[in-house]
Amino acid sequence: MKAAPTLDGRVRIDPESEIDLVVLRAVIGDAQRSGEGLASHLAGGMDSAVFEDWTEFVTPELKGQFDRQLVLVAEDLAAMRPGQPLFIGKDRVESWYGALNQARLALQDTYSFDGESIESMSPEKASARIRYHFYGMIQELLLEILF
Amino acid sequence: MADTETLLKDSTALDHPWQVVVYDDPVNFAEYVTQVFMRVLGYPRPRAETLMLEVHETGRSVVWSGERERAELYTQQLQAHQLKTAMEKPEA
Repeated sequence: MKAAPTLDGRVRIDPESEIDLVVLRAVIGDAQRSGEGLASHLAGGMDSAVFEDWTEFVTPELKGQFDRQLVLVAEDLAAMRPGQPLFIGKDRVESWYGALNQARLALQDTYSFDGESIESMSPEKASARIRYHFYGMIQELLLEILF
Repeated sequence: MADTETLLKDSTALDHPWQVVVYDDPVNFAEYVTQVFMRVLGYPRPRAETLMLEVHETGRSVVWSGERERAELYTQQLQAHQLKTAMEKPEA
C-alpha cells in the first residue's frame, strides 16, 4: 500500500492487493471495540455537578458523531478496490482522522502498548500493534497535508 | 433598577469560574492536540504548544476558565476531537 500527498492538496491511498484492503478495512472493527465507551471515557473526569446532564445529553450526541465518522469511512472502504486509489480531501479529513483515532484509542485501551518489543508480543497483540502504527502513519499524513 | 443590576452581578459571580481541563493520553499526536487548541480555543500557536506540553508533562492542563456556558461549549468541542476533557469547578 502507498499513501502520499497529491499536487492538488489531497492525500492519495493506493491499495495494491486484497491484503492491503483487509488491513485498511480493519479500522472499522478496531474502532468499534470501544463500543459505547469512547464518548463516556472522554468525559470521565467531569465535575459531579454536571456529570449527570452531560451523560444524558452530550455523550449520546458525541457517540452519534463518532458513529457517523465510521459510517462515512466504511462507505469509502467498501468502494475501494486493489489498484484503485482513494483520495481524501478536506471534506472528508475530519471523518477519516476521527475514525483512525477511534481505532487507535480502542487498540491502546485493549492492549496497553508500552515499551514492549513486538517480538515478545502474542501474534494477536503484535498484529494489533502493527495496525496501530499503520493507522498513525496515515493520520500523520492527513495532519501534515490537510489540517 | 439598582436592585436588578445587583442581582445580575451576584448571579454571574456565583457561576464563575469553571475550568476546562484536558488530560494526557498516549494516543493523540502532539501536533494534533496543538492544532485542536488553536482551532477550538482560538489560541495562537505558542500558547497552544505551551498548553499541549503541560498536558503531556504533567498529565493535565487547565486550558480555559470562565463562565459555565462557554466552558460547556469548549468541553464538548474538545471531546468531539477525542481529547479527554473535563469541566471542573475549583474549590472556593
